[in-house]
Amino acid sequence: MDWGKVKFFLGEVLRNFTRNAGMQATAIGTVAITIVLLGAFLFVRSALSGVGSELLDQIEISAYLNADITPAQTASLRHLIEIDPRVESVQYVPKKEGLAELRDRTKGAIDTALLTENPLPDKLRIRVRDPENVPAVADDVKRLSGVDNVVYGQTVVERLLALGAVLRRVGLVVIAVFLVVAGIIISNTIRLTVFARRREIAIMQLVGATNTYIRIPFICEGLIDGLIGAALAVAVLTIAKATLWPRLVEALPFVPLGSGNIDALTMVGELVLAGAAIGVVSSWISVGRHLRT
Amino acid sequence: MISLRGVSLIYPNGVRALDHVTLEIAKGDFVFLVGHSGTGKSSLLRLLYREVQPSAGEITVDGIRVDKLARRRVPALRRHLGVVFQDFKLLSEKTVWENVAFAMQVTGAHTKDVMRQVPRVLDLVGLSHKSRMYPGELSGGEQQRTAIARSLVNNPKILLCDEPTGNLDPANTTEITELLLRINLKGTTIVVATHNQAVVDRMRRRVVRLEDGRIVTDEERGYYYLGLGQGQVLSG
Repeated sequence: MDWGKVKFFLGEVLRNFTRNAGMQATAIGTVAITIVLLGAFLFVRSALSGVGSELLDQIEISAYLNADITPAQTASLRHLIEIDPRVESVQYVPKKEGLAELRDRTKGAIDTALLTENPLPDKLRIRVRDPENVPAVADDVKRLSGVDNVVYGQTVVERLLALGAVLRRVGLVVIAVFLVVAGIIISNTIRLTVFARRREIAIMQLVGATNTYIRIPFICEGLIDGLIGAALAVAVLTIAKATLWPRLVEALPFVPLGSGNIDALTMVGELVLAGAAIGVVSSWISVGRHLRT
Repeated sequence: MISLRGVSLIYPNGVRALDHVTLEIAKGDFVFLVGHSGTGKSSLLRLLYREVQPSAGEITVDGIRVDKLARRRVPALRRHLGVVFQDFKLLSEKTVWENVAFAMQVTGAHTKDVMRQVPRVLDLVGLSHKSRMYPGELSGGEQQRTAIARSLVNNPKILLCDEPTGNLDPANTTEITELLLRINLKGTTIVVATHNQAVVDRMRRRVVRLEDGRIVTDEERGYYYLGLGQGQVLSG
């Protein structure tokens, strides 16, 4: 290992980095802002889809049966529904149990002791594997004889499904736009530092330095910008989550936001990687342009 | 060592800088390129270190066909050449030592070679005692000597000089000229493009005269002006 070489190289990178401190600050700031936005967006998206999937998981179809149905008919009906591959489980809830459930759910607000007879019909509780199939399964079940009525959170399911689809699509576009904007700004910053060092580059070319060698310090510069920016962004996001998230959960008690415990380590990794990638790619492009001309 | 055959150079803007130039320069030669501004002296040098590509003709430098050289092989060619300019092209924020060492460091030389080679060339140009100074603290002649040291540090066989004394006073000019002569005596082939009549006339070396992109004369021991020695002037 030739430590003299390493020392020279690191010295060059450090010198350029500190000499153009203002420009570096601009680039780092841009990366940081981009990644804060990106991180906040990813976070909100995962929180919302957490809400959505939690609600969707709770969706079940209640098929209320005709009052005069026989146990044998019920059993064959249940079998018919169970063999549908889309269906995960079918549970028979006799009206007595239904009443008990109602009592539990309303926590005594309805005094069932006042009822002279049980007004509820027997029902089948159907769970569907994929929430997307809920409306179709409900439709099919409704057509079976012996089924009086079918109930599920129709509007909720449809809206959640639509929201999920929109979020996925918008999300991709937003992320792409963020990354491109950050890339353009960093690449312009690096171009300025390239311009500031054009004499040095000309001399390097004159004495026979390879283009790869000339490029490496700039790539390192971009990488450092990207990493520092990403680190700042992660710090900001961590603080924001620690202070804002509990308040948000408090402010929206009925929305099942969950713990907000997304996979933080993976996300930090992704954000830092994104920062490094923006830095490297944009500096590669701007130095390449200079070297070709 | 250097050979041009039927070389023409037309810049993208249509200017014809060189027109069917044929020239042979042997190993160890010392050659002046003279002529008015814009007659193609600098263009000829730029062709040799492959800053520009010829429009026609063959160029060979130290056995390398420069006109056919792939872009990625250009750095290898440049390591065989030293190039010196009128404006020195030194890095102002580096010391004399660092400027000279830079040429080795950016081409991936080992540190122990740098430590051996830099003092050697600084001694050759007589700047050992000023190695820690910055270019701004040096005279023009010393700056040019630093640039020459840098151009020699990779042991080139050929040294190309484009108006090396253009920014210097007569005393510094003499100093640089003598230095080039010493380098030539060590076996380095030297090509100097110059306007400086005094230098050419005192040295009495091979003089290649360019006019409008063509070689008009090529004398073994020439003067700056055709057939005239120092002190004489062209009338009219």
